[in-house]
Amino acid sequence: MGLPLFDAQSDPGPSFVRFAEMTGLTLPPSTSDLSAHATTVVAVRFAEGVVMVADRQATSYYVANRDVRKIEAADRFTALAISGSAARGLEFIRLAQLSFEHYEKMTDSSLSLEGKANYLSPLIQRNNLTTTLVVLPLLAGWDLAHQTGRIFEYDGAGGCYERQDFSVIGSGSPFADSTLRLGFRTGMSRDEALALAALAIYEAADNDPSTGGPDFVRSIFPMMVTLTSDGFRELEHATAAETFRLINDRRAESGGVAGGALR
Amino acid sequence: MSNYFYVAPEQLIKDRAEFAQKGIARGRSIVAAIYDVGVLMVAENPSASLYKISEIYDRIAFAGVGKYNEFDRLREAGIRWADGTGYTYSREDVDARALANFYAHHLGDMFTEGQKPLEVEIMVAQLGNKFRPTKLYRIAYEGTISDEADFAVLGGDAETIKGRFADLEVGHLSLSQTLKNAVSALAGPDRHLPVEDLEVGVLEDQGDRRTFSRLSDEQIALLLT
Repeated sequence: MGLPLFDAQSDPGPSFVRFAEMTGLTLPPSTSDLSAHATTVVAVRFAEGVVMVADRQATSYYVANRDVRKIEAADRFTALAISGSAARGLEFIRLAQLSFEHYEKMTDSSLSLEGKANYLSPLIQRNNLTTTLVVLPLLAGWDLAHQTGRIFEYDGAGGCYERQDFSVIGSGSPFADSTLRLGFRTGMSRDEALALAALAIYEAADNDPSTGGPDFVRSIFPMMVTLTSDGFRELEHATAAETFRLINDRRAESGGVAGGALR
Repeated sequence: MSNYFYVAPEQLIKDRAEFAQKGIARGRSIVAAIYDVGVLMVAENPSASLYKISEIYDRIAFAGVGKYNEFDRLREAGIRWADGTGYTYSREDVDARALANFYAHHLGDMFTEGQKPLEVEIMVAQLGNKFRPTKLYRIAYEGTISDEADFAVLGGDAETIKGRFADLEVGHLSLSQTLKNAVSALAGPDRHLPVEDLEVGVLEDQGDRRTFSRLSDEQIALLLT
């Protein structure tokens, strides 16, 4: 690639995607349907931010991968999770990360959280309407301007909706969503929100064969993330292990019965 | 029919060089120097928003003097080139030398073939790691590229400032000392530069992937005391 100079009329501005399209860096969408997918990711708002928990399994006709990272830091204060086609999803994360950083360097100011959320809409729309490999992301972050945690979810056509309570994506959604509906309260503490989000993933993994639960044999546990005024923090392996061991032990005590109290 | 007068190529080059030098000399200078653990860039810049120093990539920074619109366009092209290259290959494959060469080609082309030469002088700085050395590449208005060993000065008054800085800076000192030396070299014996008129950018490993940071007025003041 030579030095990409543009005149004022054709300048792509601070958008990396527009620049990449103009210069042919991004390939035309594929129409193959070879993909690994199925997922559950939840995001829950609490008093000081947002927690996110995601399972680690990529599934095609069989288990394709057991330790996929489905949540990534899009920048210091923003997390992006994906469900749907793994190939397109990982590319989607890469493009989003690069776009936010590109904008920041070009303009010497970061995009607002809402700006980042809106930027993804046309990307989702274009991807989902031109390929059979559907990707649905979930964006959560700490809004520096408004000093609060915020969650944005999307529909398949690229519509962007802000959620005040929690959001769920992926094939295990119905089960995770039910758990969160019953357990969610406004103004939860960080630990309460983490425990509830972990339980939602546990339920999803219990009922949806394409969502991976805690894997005690291989010591692989769902990924747990917090987004607060400290930015994006991934919880340590030991903490995630302990959280899921607790849920598992309680469930074993009741003989696998989830009913009664939220446990 | 209009008459065409013959102009000797020597004269043409001389005229173009004089034109570019005049434009560059009107602006204030920039000092870039390698210190013990990073690269420092200091510009005299009364504007708090029209920057002369900025981030190109994880370990690469850009500085420009002369006409703002001209070097800002080069800065944008540099960011696009770096992000595009990193996206196509890997973040590790983005190299300052390749970018400096592209800049040199472009400036050289504009000098000989453009409507007018660009009235800019730019610098591409790279913070080294296991695979690459720490480097300062200075690219002049006519496309001459030079690989400066320890420090470089951009701008009209470069030779004088270079002399003053060379007298103060011996070896790679601390950030604070290098900043003090750079500011006093920029100011000269008869002037005092207030903190608000300084723009300072630094490339230093802080544990993050991105190493560039802009120092605030408070940080600069603290380092200068």
